[in-house]
Amino acid sequence: MSTTALWGWIVLIALGLGIGGLGWRLYGLLARPYRPDRAPPRGPAWRGVVYAFTWGMMPWAKESTRRHLLPYLRGVLFHLGIFATLATLAISPWRLSLPASIAPAGLVLTGIGAAGGLIGIMMRIFDERLRALSHPDDYAAVALVTVWQAAGMAFWADPRWTGAFYALSALTLIAIPLTKIRHCLYFFFSRFFFGLFYGRRAVLG
Amino acid sequence: MSERVQRALAVFERSLDRRLLTALEVCARCGICAESCHVFAAEPDFRHAPAAKAEAVRRFYRRLHDPIGRWFPWWVGAKDLTEADLEELAEIAFGACTLCRRCTMNCPMGVDTALIMRAARAMLTAAGKAPEMLMQLADAAIAREENLEFFREFYINQIRDLERELQEQTGDPDARIPVEKAGAEILYVALSGAHTILPAAILFHAVGANWTLSMFEAANYGYFLADIQRARAIAQRIVNEARRLGVKEIILAECGHAYTVLRWEAPNWFEDFPFRVRSIIEAAAEWIQQGRLPLDPSANPEPVTYHDSCNLGRNGGLLEEPRIILRAVVQDFREMTPNRAENFCCGGGAGLVAVPEWYEKRMRAGRRKVEQIRQTGARVVVASCDNCRLQLGDLSEYYGLGVRVSGLMDLVVNAYLAAHRRHVPAPVAPVRVPAGEPF
Repeated sequence: MSTTALWGWIVLIALGLGIGGLGWRLYGLLARPYRPDRAPPRGPAWRGVVYAFTWGMMPWAKESTRRHLLPYLRGVLFHLGIFATLATLAISPWRLSLPASIAPAGLVLTGIGAAGGLIGIMMRIFDERLRALSHPDDYAAVALVTVWQAAGMAFWADPRWTGAFYALSALTLIAIPLTKIRHCLYFFFSRFFFGLFYGRRAVLG
Repeated sequence: MSERVQRALAVFERSLDRRLLTALEVCARCGICAESCHVFAAEPDFRHAPAAKAEAVRRFYRRLHDPIGRWFPWWVGAKDLTEADLEELAEIAFGACTLCRRCTMNCPMGVDTALIMRAARAMLTAAGKAPEMLMQLADAAIAREENLEFFREFYINQIRDLERELQEQTGDPDARIPVEKAGAEILYVALSGAHTILPAAILFHAVGANWTLSMFEAANYGYFLADIQRARAIAQRIVNEARRLGVKEIILAECGHAYTVLRWEAPNWFEDFPFRVRSIIEAAAEWIQQGRLPLDPSANPEPVTYHDSCNLGRNGGLLEEPRIILRAVVQDFREMTPNRAENFCCGGGAGLVAVPEWYEKRMRAGRRKVEQIRQTGARVVVASCDNCRLQLGDLSEYYGLGVRVSGLMDLVVNAYLAAHRRHVPAPVAPVRVPAGEPF
């Protein structure tokens, strides 16, 4: 078995562990009681929920993002890079048979994500407020994801980086349920509850 | 682990439902919530950032519920809860957060920091670490209900005095303030004091409402304590009264937390209500839109601005009704910036105004609100929440704003009485309903 194939198997095992870990987190969440709101609503809850996942995520929707557009864009690009790197991982076994246009696009998207991550690390190190809020896990999580995206970029630049990309992918997948990265699961529930609360009160949506 | 800490943690575990767990887990500690908080805006100390406040709860949550928090606590900032932490948490949950949810609105995740702070308040109340004043006010309210016969005669005598004033104001010697009137359609729940009884009585008389005044007040200090048992006991007396009298709706005086309690929380504590619950703001807006109130806005000539109270506005949904009213009853209405759901908290909510030792703290927290008011150039600030009115009055004095603070219904009554005395007819004439037998 080649080294690349071995790494591929390691990534699949890591994916299983990552999904299993997230599944365990999800189970822990769903095992908690849910107390539906029985107060008569002023507005339809569904509108608030739709708003929470759509217009409510736009930069003009919140004072915080209107005032801090650049950090907002940085965050968007960072997360875009994450999706691009996940897609890179998914299609990586077929790299050599992909259309030629994919590689530059993959390189740019993962690279932008990595740049966004690097800026995020710098902000967390040099911004006094963020530094005060942060724990080692915060630095490590964003550093890991940034380096992973950089490895994705390297993978697109030169297939010889495949091993490193797979190694970092495996590490990242295992880290998801154990580190702050797991907020990717809770995000959907948080926005749902947010939309539910403000939709029922006809404040948003 | 001390008994206090054990009690606190027991309450925390009972509170830990899906919503709370989500709020505790989802924070990315991006810090963008900080500037949305009026406490941080007034004093940019990172400890005032909502994420930092919530971290006081998250760190022991992680110690208990996160494997990394259990094995490598230093990695995720986890720690065991101690008595010293309870002291710190009390300062944060009761003294540095008004549960306004402005941070939630501005958070990319929608973290419900107010929910986390309420869980902290519940823990602290159980551990005996809640502010003494709030505990006393809640217990006094419960004691009043348990000794109702003792208070009844005194209360009714006070109402008789108000009734004379009502008759004088309306020019109707038959005007009444009914109490415990069976068959009334509306049970009006006032706050302690004439300032929320008389204006409402004038308006109910104006529209010919079939109403009765509650024996109880709408304030619920059990809610500030996040003590569901106390809050429920205080709300129960109003609910029982409404059921007993067979009313079709409860109308609440202008009060933020009372609206939150009876409109949004109490339906989750009791069986389905056979009546609806509204604020008098909603009722007044409806009367105005229905043309049932003659109004003369020249009775309120000064420039007026409106403070969107957090419980009524952002978290209650009453964003347009106050504006419907103000456009009808004042000559010069000026919006604050920001307003509506983005409005800043006055800094006195969630019980802060009731705790004397936190006067300076809430004066600092209200700085952003002071700037907002100044920018409007208004001479009158209207707030539909009693706590907000107290805070705004104190802020005006402390910062030399020179503004008068008014309730919304006071302006409605001014406009109504001015029109009434000029015999301006209402677009729609009221149908007079007998007040019932005098008590």
